[in-house]
Amino acid sequence: MEDIVIKGSHKDYFIPSVNFNSQTGICELGGESFLEDTVEFYNPIISWLTEFTENVKKPLAFIIKLTYFNTSTSRCILDILNVLKDYEEAGGEVVINWHYDENDIDMEEDIEDYMIDTGLDINLIAFSNGTE
Amino acid sequence: MDGKQEIYDSMKGHNVHISYTGVFDGQILSVIAKNIEYSLSQDPIVNKKMFKVFLELAQNISYYSDEKLAVNKHEESGVGTITIQEFKNHFVFATGNIISKVDTEKIERKCKKINSLTREDLRKFKREQRKLPAGAKGGGNIGLIQVALTSENPIDYKLIPLEDGKHFYIIATKVDKF
Repeated sequence: MEDIVIKGSHKDYFIPSVNFNSQTGICELGGESFLEDTVEFYNPIISWLTEFTENVKKPLAFIIKLTYFNTSTSRCILDILNVLKDYEEAGGEVVINWHYDENDIDMEEDIEDYMIDTGLDINLIAFSNGTE
Repeated sequence: MDGKQEIYDSMKGHNVHISYTGVFDGQILSVIAKNIEYSLSQDPIVNKKMFKVFLELAQNISYYSDEKLAVNKHEESGVGTITIQEFKNHFVFATGNIISKVDTEKIERKCKKINSLTREDLRKFKREQRKLPAGAKGGGNIGLIQVALTSENPIDYKLIPLEDGKHFYIIATKVDKF
C-alpha cells in the first residue's frame, strides 16, 4: 500500500503534516489542523489506517505532534484512535506517543479525555519552550 | 436597538486590538489567527489561548451565521463581527452574528448549561457531545464548550430580537492575562 505524505502548511487554513509509512508502521501527524473540510481531509487517513490494520497487520506506532487542532478535527482524531483501539483488540501491536507543550493544559486534558473515551494507553510526552 | 448595523456599531469600543466585520472565510480567519498567536500578548500561553478562543468563536460564525456570503465563488461562509479588547488584567473577545429562529432556543440552552458546569463536568459534556453526529463541515456541538474550557471563564451571551423571529447573537468571553 502507498504511503501518505502531506506537507503541512499555513497558507490558507492550517494543514497538518502527515507521514504514514506502511513499511515501518510509523505514522506521524503534526503541526496545526484547521481545515476547509475536515472530514474530507481525514477520511483517506482513516481509510489508510483501516487498510493497514486489516491487511498489513504489522506493529503500528502512531506519533501525534499536533500543536493545535480545532474541534472538528478532534472528532476525526477520535475516529483515528477508535481504529487503533479496534486493531489492538484484534491482537495488533499499537504504540501511541503524543507530544505536547508542557504549558498547554488544554492539550494534556484532551489526551486524558481521549484515553477515557477509547480505553487506549497513550504515552504523554511533554516538551518545553517549543522544543523537545 | 433593532437594526443589525446599529448593533455592529455598538460593539466597537476602547482599547480594541482587532476588529473585523464581514465574511468569516478560512483565509481571513487564518490571517487574524496568526496575528493573535504571535502579537497580542508577551506571554505565549496567553497568546495560544487567545488563538484557540478566536478560531472556535470565528468558526461558529463561519458555520452558523444566518447571514452568508460566497467568497471567490467558493462555498458560502457566515457573516458576523469580532472585536478583541484589552483591559488591565484580561482580554475580551466579543462576537456577533445573526442566528435563525430555530437556533435561538438551542443556543440559549447550551450557553446556560455551559455556564452551570464545573471544569470536570464541561470535559465530560464535551466528550458526550463529541460522540454525537457532526454538524456542518464536521463541526458543531463542542466549539463553545472548548471556548469555556480554554478561556477558563464563563460565556456572556445576549440575544437581541430582530425581524422574522431571527436574533442577533452576541458572545463575550474573557481570557485572563495571568
